[in-house]
Amino acid sequence: MIQLQGVSKVYRVGPVKVTALADVSLEIEKGEFTVLAGPSGSGKTTLLRLLYRDEVPTEGEIRVAGFDVTGMRRSRIPHLRRAVGVVFQDAKLLPARNVYDNVAFVLRVLGTPRREITPRVMQTLKAVGLSARAQALPAQISQGEQQRAALARALVKEPALLLADEPTGNLDEAMADEILYLLSDIWNRGTTILLATHRATLADQLKRRTLVLDGGRLLKDED
Amino acid sequence: MLFFLIGEALRDLRRGGRVAVSAVLLIMLSLTALGAFWVLSLNLGRALVQWRDRFRVVVYLREEPPAGQVEGLLEKIEGVGGIQRLRYVSKGQALQALRRQIGGQASVVAELPANPLPASVEVTPAAEAMTPEGTRALIQRLSALAEVEEVQGGTAWVEWLAQFQGLLQAIGLSLGAVLALAAILTATTATTLVLHARREEMEIMRLVGASEMVIRLPLLLQGLIQGFVGALMAVGGLYLAFRLALPTLEPLLSVTLGLPGAAFFAPAEIAVLVGGGSLLGGLGGLRAKGEKPA
Repeated sequence: MIQLQGVSKVYRVGPVKVTALADVSLEIEKGEFTVLAGPSGSGKTTLLRLLYRDEVPTEGEIRVAGFDVTGMRRSRIPHLRRAVGVVFQDAKLLPARNVYDNVAFVLRVLGTPRREITPRVMQTLKAVGLSARAQALPAQISQGEQQRAALARALVKEPALLLADEPTGNLDEAMADEILYLLSDIWNRGTTILLATHRATLADQLKRRTLVLDGGRLLKDED
Repeated sequence: MLFFLIGEALRDLRRGGRVAVSAVLLIMLSLTALGAFWVLSLNLGRALVQWRDRFRVVVYLREEPPAGQVEGLLEKIEGVGGIQRLRYVSKGQALQALRRQIGGQASVVAELPANPLPASVEVTPAAEAMTPEGTRALIQRLSALAEVEEVQGGTAWVEWLAQFQGLLQAIGLSLGAVLALAAILTATTATTLVLHARREEMEIMRLVGASEMVIRLPLLLQGLIQGFVGALMAVGGLYLAFRLALPTLEPLLSVTLGLPGAAFFAPAEIAVLVGGGSLLGGLGGLRAKGEKPA
C-alpha cells in the first residue's frame, strides 16, 4: 500500500536548510495498522503530507495505493486523494455546516449520485456513532464527537488508506480511547491505517507495528 | 453535481454580500450605458438606411425632349455609370406633382401663363456611389452632358449623420468599456472575498480529491450569475426607460429623423447584452486569486 525509498525532505528557510526527513525507506502492506511514533518535530506530519502529495520529496521515491506520488502530475493528485482519507489533530470541520453536511460535502464534491449520498452518509455516521448528532453544528458537539465526524468525513468515500495525524492530540483519555477503538474497528473492516502520534504509550497500548521517527530519521521499525 | 455547484455559487453570492451587490450594480450600469447608446445608434442607423434609400440626384434638363427621344436620353444618362435606376419626369408631371404638394393653393398654378418647371430625370445612385465622393463624381459626370441644365443632390448630410452615429457608438463603447472594466474588477474582488471565506472549504475539497474544476467552477458560476442578473436589470431598466420616453420620443423622431416610430432591441441584441454581462461577471470570477493549490 505504501512504499518509500530513500525519501528526504529538506525545507529552505532563506539560506538555512532544515531537514525534516532524511533517507527514509519503509513499506506498509495493504490491511496493516501501523503506528508512526516520534516526538514533536520528528517528521511525522511531513511524512504524512508526502503520502497525500501535499508536499513533494526533495529526494527518493514514494508509491501510495498504486500511485507513483513522486512523479505525479498535478492533475492526478485528486485521484490519489480519493484513495486516501486524512484526519488531523484539529477536526477541521466546516463550522457553518452540520455534521451530516460536513460528511455529505465530500460525496457531493466527488460527484456521487444524489440518491447514494444520504444512505452512505448515514451508514458512515452510524459506524462512528454519530447518527443521532447528524443535524448538530460542529460548535454544538464535543471535541470527541468532532473528531468522530472528521473520521466519518474521511471514511465516507471508502478510502483504501487512512492517514491519521495525531487524531487524539486534543482529546482527554476517555475520548482518545473512543477514537482508538473506532480506528481499530475501521481497520478490522479492511482499511489500511497509518496513525501518527507523539505518545509513546499509545503505540504500546495498540500493540501494532510501530515506526519510530526522530530528527527526520527512521530509528525503529518494530512489530 | 451541477445542482451542487449552482447551490455553492448561490451560497458564495450570499457570502459576497455588499461587494457582490456592487458588482451586480456596476455590471448593470456599464450595460445600461452601453445599451442606451446602442439603442440611440440603432434608431439613427434605421433613419440612415431609410434616408439612403430615398436619396435621389435630380438632373434638370435644358429642354424637354420629344417623346420619341426620351428613351435615348435616359440611355445616355445611364451610360455615365454609377446609377441604379432612373425615372423621367416631364414638365407636365412636374407641374402635377407641384399641384399635389401645394394642395389648397393649387389654383395659383392654374393662373400661371406657362409651365415654368423643367423636365428632369430622377437618378438613384448605385450603392457604390452612395458616398460623398461617389455622389460628387456622379454629379460631375451628369453635369458634363450637353442636355443637362443643372444637377442637384448630395450625401454630405447623410454622411454627417453616419459620422454622428459612429461617434455615438464610440462614446457608448468607451463609456461601456470603462464601466465594464470596473465591473470586472468588482466581480473579481467579490469572488476573491468569497475565496477567503471559503478557504477552509477549498482545503477540504482538495484534501478529499475534488478536481480543480469542481473547486473553481462555483467561482465562475458566481461571476456568471452576477453578470447575468446585472445584465437583466440593465435590459429591464432600459426597456422601462424606453417605454416611458416613447410618447415624447416618437413625435421627435418623426420630425427630426423621419422615422415612424422608435425601435428597442431585437431578441438577438438582448441576448448579446445579457451574454456580454454574464461574460463580464464570469471574467471577474475567473480572475479571482485564492490560496495556491497544493
